[in-house]
Amino acid sequence: MTTPMTDGDYAARAEQLTKTYGDGENAVHALDGVSLAVRRGEFVAIMGPSGSGKSTLMHMMAGLDAPTSGRVWLGSQQITGLSDHELTVLRRRRVGFVFQSFNLVPTLTARENILLPFDLDGRRPSSSEQARIDHLVHALGLVERVHHRPDQLSGGQQQRVAIARALATAPDLVFADEPTGNLDSRSSREVLTLLRTASREFGQSIAMVTHDPVAASRADRVVFVGDGRIVADKPAQTAEQISAFMLRAEGVTA
Amino acid sequence: MTVAVRTVASVAPSRPAVARPQSWIRERGMGATILVAAISAAFGVMLLSAIEYVSAVIRAIPEAEDSNTVRTTLTIVGIVFIAIAMYVGGMVTANTFSTVVAGRVRRIALLRLLGSSARRERTTIARQGLILGAIGAVLGSLGGLLVSVLAFRLASAAWNVDPAWNVLRPDLLAPVLAVIAVTWLAAWTGSRRVIAVTPLQALSQAAEPSRDAVRSRRGRHVAALSLFLVGLGILGLGLLLGLVSPFGLLIAVPGGALSFGGVALGSTLFVPPALRAVGRLFGRSAVARMAAANAVRYSERSSRMVVGVVMGVGLVTLFAVGGQSSVQFLQRVSPDDLPDVVVQAIDIFTAVTMGLVAVSAVIAAVGVVNLLTLGVLQRRREFGLLRALGLSQGQVRGMVLLESVHVVVTAVGLGLLLGTFYGWAGAQALWGWVPLQAHLGGPAIIVPAIPPVTVAIVIAATAVLTVVASVVPTRLATRISPVRALA
Repeated sequence: MTTPMTDGDYAARAEQLTKTYGDGENAVHALDGVSLAVRRGEFVAIMGPSGSGKSTLMHMMAGLDAPTSGRVWLGSQQITGLSDHELTVLRRRRVGFVFQSFNLVPTLTARENILLPFDLDGRRPSSSEQARIDHLVHALGLVERVHHRPDQLSGGQQQRVAIARALATAPDLVFADEPTGNLDSRSSREVLTLLRTASREFGQSIAMVTHDPVAASRADRVVFVGDGRIVADKPAQTAEQISAFMLRAEGVTA
Repeated sequence: MTVAVRTVASVAPSRPAVARPQSWIRERGMGATILVAAISAAFGVMLLSAIEYVSAVIRAIPEAEDSNTVRTTLTIVGIVFIAIAMYVGGMVTANTFSTVVAGRVRRIALLRLLGSSARRERTTIARQGLILGAIGAVLGSLGGLLVSVLAFRLASAAWNVDPAWNVLRPDLLAPVLAVIAVTWLAAWTGSRRVIAVTPLQALSQAAEPSRDAVRSRRGRHVAALSLFLVGLGILGLGLLLGLVSPFGLLIAVPGGALSFGGVALGSTLFVPPALRAVGRLFGRSAVARMAAANAVRYSERSSRMVVGVVMGVGLVTLFAVGGQSSVQFLQRVSPDDLPDVVVQAIDIFTAVTMGLVAVSAVIAAVGVVNLLTLGVLQRRREFGLLRALGLSQGQVRGMVLLESVHVVVTAVGLGLLLGTFYGWAGAQALWGWVPLQAHLGGPAIIVPAIPPVTVAIVIAATAVLTVVASVVPTRLATRISPVRALA
């Protein structure tokens, strides 16, 4: 963690983050002094039981929520203290999102959903961005589907559209929150392979929150969060290793 | 494991509602239902009281012979106006309930999962309509009664008359009971979706459909279209006959009423295309496209919402255009010897009828405000997603305002169009035969005249409604935080 690296080497970085809900007796510490850095091109899995604070941590790092104390950088820019509008523009341009469900705007077609970040920015994709999008649409097997609406797509297809949208702007960080949580095992494998490919081939930095040891085993690095702290930070793990660690952690806390 | 966790999480927010049966009355949309019932009941009571009062005044004049005919005529006309207001009110309430049911789907699904029948759930909702209708009707009728008493005291003092009129009459119960029945029926109609809720929906996280499943409404569409065309045919015949005979009006009026009924019934046929056409004017930006798409997303609801305003604005315009065209025609055929009192009489008649139908427009406006508000609440997750993806607060505001503009402008535009046509048709049927009969030449073609004052009022009211209808939804929409909405 303390290896000297310059800001430019990080896609996102959090330092001593705390998040407290309520005050006095009822205060709940969702995050309790967490520091985490995601290197450029890295595919990190964030694991932990419900209520561990992993989603809260990711929300702060993606500019969706503000910490009670501590600081967050996206690339080399500190984003703590930015106004709501600045954060909105930052998310639009520099963060990609893939959620568990309800990823797509129901009234827009797949293509319109993919172009939404550009559209909200009031511009058209540049020719290199357009080439990237076309490539993504091909690679994700969406060519036949671009004019369909979300309710005409399968769960796996919807998730692939969301991935195309998240990658389209080549953001500093793609934030994937349980991206396979609603998918069958085949679609899950596809989605994970896509994320892994994006990281390997395009150097896309990805932070993925997940419950699933199999999903986490596809990442370069696995960070375990529990009770608002980071309890372990390991290089790539097999699903067995991850499961064993989780079981041990459960045993300790029970 | 995950499923179990998710189910518990989704039950949590609705737990208080299940524990305290009365809490539904605080849900959004319920207040609007009470308000609509109250306006309808107050209108009914006040109009019937006014008719009674006017009849009493006429009775008190010694030389007036037949106060009963006046009273019967006024009562029939009054019932028509009250029925129009109640019809619009019923549509607003049906819309409210269909939106509320959509928001309650998960809760209803959970109750279905626990063993409740669809019919039972629907009956529960209809009963809520009954209770709201009763509250609104009682409040509204008491208010209406109070206003009537005060107004007619003032009138008696001003005109120096002392008619013997009864404040409390049994027939005032009719509008009260009718409002309760209409609200009950509207809640039942609006809650039809309950039948389609399956217990499994309590567990699933299926993607929201981009638009309401298109239900087959062939029978209704055929009926609406036939009503419209037959009515239009009769109206045409009436107009032709009206070129030579005063009896044309007697045929034209029922023809116009039939075709207008067809318009109201067939709203789902023409409102969505109209909304789409207007939506295209907003441009191609994502915000504009999403705002335009939202209006046609739940086409049955938006059709009901729009057609309420169309009826209100259409009727106001009808009387305004009818009155103004008549005055202009009379001034044209007899420029010199048209007595001022005739113009005055037409103006007063026009103003009074416009005021009476404006009540329907107000009720429809309540429906627009209510539905746009509920629409935002129902799309909390969508707004959360959009905020996460980079929709700024300013863009949220713009989107909600555009939705409001879209609906209001389409509705008012259609209302003005239809109202101008029917108003002209009325004037044409009323006066077309006059020159021929008076040996002043051939049958007259009336030029439709649109009174500028009415246009100004309608435009001002449109602007006010657009802004008012977007205030609450904007406040709600800008408060949605992406994290909460997506959690």
